[in-house]
Amino acid sequence: MSTFERIAGPFEGEVGGVLWDGEAVLFTTVDEHRLMRFDPASGDTTELRRYTNRAKGLAFGPNGELYSAQEGGRRIIEFMPDGSVTALKALLDGRYHNNPCDLTVDRGGRIWFCDPFHPIRIFGPAFFPPLSEGSVLRLHRDDRRNWALRRMTFDTVSPRALVLSADEKMLFVADGEPSSAGDRELRAYPIRSDGSLSQPTVLHCFGSDTNGAHRGIEGMCMDADGNLVACAGWKQSGPGPLIYAITPRGRIVETYEFPGDQPTRCTFGGADLDTLYVTTATGELYRGNIGKRQGLGRGGAQNGH
Amino acid sequence: MDIEVRHPAMHEIADIEAPLVQIARGTTFAEGPVWDHRNGRLYFTDIIEDTIWQWTPGIGMETVIHPSGHADGMTIDHQGRLVVAGWASRSVWRREHDGSLLPLVTHYHGTKINTPNDIVVHSSGAIYWTDGDGAFYIPGMESEDLQRYLDFNAVFRLSPDGLHLTPVITDFVFPNGLVFSPDEKRLYVNDTRQSLVRVFDVDRNGDVSNGRTFYELQGLEVGHADGMKVDQRGNLYCTGPAGIHVISPDGNLLGRLKIPAECTNMAWGDEDWKTLFITTHHAIYRVRLKIPGIPVGGNNAG
Repeated sequence: MSTFERIAGPFEGEVGGVLWDGEAVLFTTVDEHRLMRFDPASGDTTELRRYTNRAKGLAFGPNGELYSAQEGGRRIIEFMPDGSVTALKALLDGRYHNNPCDLTVDRGGRIWFCDPFHPIRIFGPAFFPPLSEGSVLRLHRDDRRNWALRRMTFDTVSPRALVLSADEKMLFVADGEPSSAGDRELRAYPIRSDGSLSQPTVLHCFGSDTNGAHRGIEGMCMDADGNLVACAGWKQSGPGPLIYAITPRGRIVETYEFPGDQPTRCTFGGADLDTLYVTTATGELYRGNIGKRQGLGRGGAQNGH
Repeated sequence: MDIEVRHPAMHEIADIEAPLVQIARGTTFAEGPVWDHRNGRLYFTDIIEDTIWQWTPGIGMETVIHPSGHADGMTIDHQGRLVVAGWASRSVWRREHDGSLLPLVTHYHGTKINTPNDIVVHSSGAIYWTDGDGAFYIPGMESEDLQRYLDFNAVFRLSPDGLHLTPVITDFVFPNGLVFSPDEKRLYVNDTRQSLVRVFDVDRNGDVSNGRTFYELQGLEVGHADGMKVDQRGNLYCTGPAGIHVISPDGNLLGRLKIPAECTNMAWGDEDWKTLFITTHHAIYRVRLKIPGIPVGGNNAG
């Protein structure tokens, strides 16, 4: 059983990343270039930042750092406590990467992010063409504390969402958009002891019907039992907008009807992490309970999505 | 040089027989040209490569300042000092005679300014510049602090004594090139995103009013509104599709100087101020024109 209600929006364009900060929900209004905060105690939504240049995904670092995937600026940024914004500057073999959309931070502070191509071109001279590949990339600090980039996947087309298992031994990646070649897949990549990724298992595949391609997973988080909670689907084809609960082995244990269209990202919030907050590509923030599921507490800051 | 004539007056401005000469190359994003008449050389910036260059006839390119804070537009004040629209450094600064770099403006009423883009010095000594927001999103030329704080992209005026900073125009989308008419009764400012030039009246106090659309750039070729200059008859030169649009003081297109690359800015130079130096992304060009430009840099400037 699910009980979703819309609590903010509609905003102009899509709503992106969503993150529980322990008291309230942070989310980005991507096309409005804003970072917002919904306070469940008061029911108020307030603006934290503007001019975010299509900041989309949000994640906390191990020391409470607030990171975002800045799709427009083609980089990962950190919203600093003093109100400034810092870029995590790093090139991939000397090249600028694409348009980061989702990210997650492991216990070691490394930032894993999806780097697909996004068709909205930023204003200004385009000296640095996009990469031909859409990959999962990872930022780490080198021995001089500078950020460095490493390409992690070599078999993705347009990665949309990613999440780490609780033990950080598995990386789950949703790859493919309705417009990209092939099906939209949910994959599980074992993480080797050296930090590289091993051969993935495809856990689920979204196909198409006469109404068009089924929209795949655009956002995921983990529940306390180690299942993936994923946002997928749209009204125009397939089974429609749904919230999925999927085991790490790929069995769909539950689907929850979602009243809005194009659910995008989700995170658990509330004192007991039993409320699921969901954003949509149509510009809204929803909340509801999905059965008795609760979020995975990762200790310290909630490393949500 | 390839010229497109839209009005017979264009023949009094440019000669098709005058060669377009590439004098320097190898830049990534050249901008900010200004002629230093005291030393007989051209300064220009490479925004992406974080460098201010000088080019001297017979010598060529030499590095002046690196890193430059991704400096963009430049001019020379009446004392002969380089005055710089600092782009990613989010400041307007000046190179003193001893070579030190002096920030002139970093904040407006305590709030960090956006992205100084192009700059001009009035005969009074007041400095005007455009303040866009490009350093917050254009890859390769971003500021250390990517947060924008001001809710407007302004044209700022710094008073001759350096004490009073005023946003004189605040309703641009992306203000870029700016230049005064020869009598300084007009200020032209272009907007890259709106692809137009606006003109404003300037009073004796340097205040700016009565903005109206002066010219809309058209053309399917490569190029957009960026740098601007005027000649001594008041014709306006504006980068745009195909190269440089030459526009009469009443706002009509006289013709276009066709440049085989995307133009970013231009500067008058040489002793008679009849040479136009043109920056493109990857090279600098020089061409001789018929009407001298407005001298830059104070005394003995023409």
